[in-house]
Amino acid sequence: MAPSLCAICATNRALILRPKDHSKLCKPCFVSVFETEIHHTITTNALFHRGEVIAIGASGGKDSTVLASVLKTLNERYDYGVELILLSIDEGIKGYRDDSLETVKRNALQYEMPLTILGYDELYGWTMDQVVEQVGKKGNCTYCGVFRRQALDRGAARLGVKHVVTGHNADDVAETVLMNLLRGDLPRLSRTTSIVTSTPSAVSSDPNSHTNIKRSKPLKYAYEKEIVLYAHHKNLDYFSTECIYSPEAFRGSARALIKNLERVRPSAILDVVRSGEDMAKLVPGSDEGCGGVCASAVAAAEEGEGGCGSSNGRTAGGEMASMEMHLAQNDLAAENGLEVEITSVPAKKGKKNKGQPPAPRKTTKQVMGQCKKCGYLSSQDVCKACVLLEGLNKNRPKHEIGVVDEAQEDSTSGVQGVTNGINKVNIQVD
Amino acid sequence: MPGKHLTFVSEKPCRRCKENLAVLVVRTEPLCRDCFLRYVHTKVIKRMESFRVRFSDNDQQRKILLPISFGVSSVTLLHILDQHLRTQAEKTRRTGFSLSILFVDTSSVEKSCSGDTLMARVQERYPDHQYASLPLHDVFRLVDKDTSLLGLVPGLKSNQDLSSPEQLSSLINSLTSATARADVIHALKTRLIVEYAKSIRCEGVLWGDSTTNLAQKTLAETAKGRGFSLPWQVAEGESPYGITFNYPLRDVLKKELVSFVELSEPSMSPYVHEPSLGATQASMSSKNTTIDDLMKQYFESVEENFPSIVSNVVRTSSKLAAIPGTSSDPHCSLCYMPVAGGRFGIHGWGGDQEDGLEVPVVGGGKGLCYGCTRSIPSS
Repeated sequence: MAPSLCAICATNRALILRPKDHSKLCKPCFVSVFETEIHHTITTNALFHRGEVIAIGASGGKDSTVLASVLKTLNERYDYGVELILLSIDEGIKGYRDDSLETVKRNALQYEMPLTILGYDELYGWTMDQVVEQVGKKGNCTYCGVFRRQALDRGAARLGVKHVVTGHNADDVAETVLMNLLRGDLPRLSRTTSIVTSTPSAVSSDPNSHTNIKRSKPLKYAYEKEIVLYAHHKNLDYFSTECIYSPEAFRGSARALIKNLERVRPSAILDVVRSGEDMAKLVPGSDEGCGGVCASAVAAAEEGEGGCGSSNGRTAGGEMASMEMHLAQNDLAAENGLEVEITSVPAKKGKKNKGQPPAPRKTTKQVMGQCKKCGYLSSQDVCKACVLLEGLNKNRPKHEIGVVDEAQEDSTSGVQGVTNGINKVNIQVD
Repeated sequence: MPGKHLTFVSEKPCRRCKENLAVLVVRTEPLCRDCFLRYVHTKVIKRMESFRVRFSDNDQQRKILLPISFGVSSVTLLHILDQHLRTQAEKTRRTGFSLSILFVDTSSVEKSCSGDTLMARVQERYPDHQYASLPLHDVFRLVDKDTSLLGLVPGLKSNQDLSSPEQLSSLINSLTSATARADVIHALKTRLIVEYAKSIRCEGVLWGDSTTNLAQKTLAETAKGRGFSLPWQVAEGESPYGITFNYPLRDVLKKELVSFVELSEPSMSPYVHEPSLGATQASMSSKNTTIDDLMKQYFESVEENFPSIVSNVVRTSSKLAAIPGTSSDPHCSLCYMPVAGGRFGIHGWGGDQEDGLEVPVVGGGKGLCYGCTRSIPSS
């Protein structure tokens, strides 16, 4: 059997089956086509402008490592004229971040980018381990997610940086589209599909405010599998691990679906992303109708980007069950007429309305304001992070008694090391 | 089998009549056989309010088309509406509407029942309606001659003499994946049903989709890149085909319909092609798995423990609203959905990195929407 040749250069032997469209490519052509596509995404969406300082949200994982590497390459090749820096957030989970932060430190040296690491303790006065100690493992993901959403913006504001890029890839976006359909969250569905989510300057006049940060996802159209392949072929130094605390069920369910869809039709991930973009325009009350330009995506800060994205579809646990219960109770109430709608105008109770279906419920549009406590963008008086913090601080013991269980600590990091080893082996086999 | 329901609720009385023993639990409520059948019946009839006797015209009978596939859903819908029409006739000596039943035979291009035996049985059991059976290739005959649909058939230009069955097999054989074949067959089936409904002057189509089915459709169409068309895929009312669509089973779960078929007396099983759930458990590794299969399996498993999540998906996708004025947009040649600004094909958006910065060709190519282009690539 003659070895097939690369579909692009037609000279080298094809060694890579491209996940996105199953074309057969050689290694240099794959690397170049991958980079060209990111470049294309950046230029068509005018993500960067000359002289801009851009903070890369770096976790040490494959996505942000590839993002840093590709952006460095492209910035030099096409002379974007932007300054790239690394920004890492330390949630303060022992054994989870320690090793990945070491990776980020090495990346900083490899890519010659300045690195800033900010801890939840510095930003909020609490590490995640302390939060878990306080609230238990159940529900701690809420805290982590809420804190994380603000952390990059807060960190960027401290550094005086106006633009943060994150490593969200096409799989993440597709997953979020399906997840929000499953959860019935249309406002969030319409927000998460846009490539740039920025907080308009109108919200704050203070140029150093952390509500004035632009967020973008240059890897939005890049397949996770291709990111892994790119990292592998470029010998990038990254760390793969999962959060040791519990994953979200809806995301897990959506992720499993996406993986199966990809198997049936490789283009499906991109097709879901496309559907998500189109559906965003159909959400009543969204401003996507104008192409997302006008008051676009005010809600960047509250965007549900990914929680921790660590679940691999292994659970369909409590989250779905509790939503099921909630919805079932609503249905029951509606059916038995327990839910009384209170209106100022007395409703005409006649047979007039019977033939017609009730008017479709409007999706409520969120009005964004500022948190009274920290000034962060919020649809409430006080933002979610401040509400959570207040609850935490109220219950904080006056004197902390800390005993570090070193034996346990060692065993955890040992396990993480092994997992990482297995992942690396897998990639080489591929 | 009703037996499996009995085993774990046998001790409880029915929550509604408080007299009989419950035979199954419906959304946390233990119900007896009669109350359950009434529960499903009521849910369906509630959706048919606009077809009440008092809204009907004395001179002209309103006619609606009910496409039947001999699946659990469409047979149940026929059964309930047949009963409903009898009750109307008994009470008022006239009916709010009349039914035309259409079976589309797709057995030439996919594994399905040919329908002859079932058709005869159903016609005998529910004799008061009009019945018709059409082969899928009749779509080429019914759709106007000059339509762009014919342009999709490979080889038609060089050979004008292709018969309809040949056109159909030529089109289906040109497709390269199971997903594409299922998708195209489904689109053609919808087109045929709509054209037939119009040709016999029906004012609308009653689709047999259950809640579960609509949720499955929502995610499947999303996965096939047809998110733009969702407002017309699950919502009731005027469709882009110029005829109204109704989904009377939209508040009933698939598993409830399966129980309905099992529990009704005399049994409805002889009229149903595959009466039980789980007939779709195709092997996942198989190359023949389609996106529709995948979503079907997914939602049949979700509805087991999380029925409200299934209905919430449908409620959610029904909130998506078509942008005003889109109905005048150019239509896709295959699925006939309006394509905003005539931006056909898979190029010219953020996720397309092949065509560089070029502006998409408006109205060019075969005039297929994004989703249909995935199934029938232009090259």
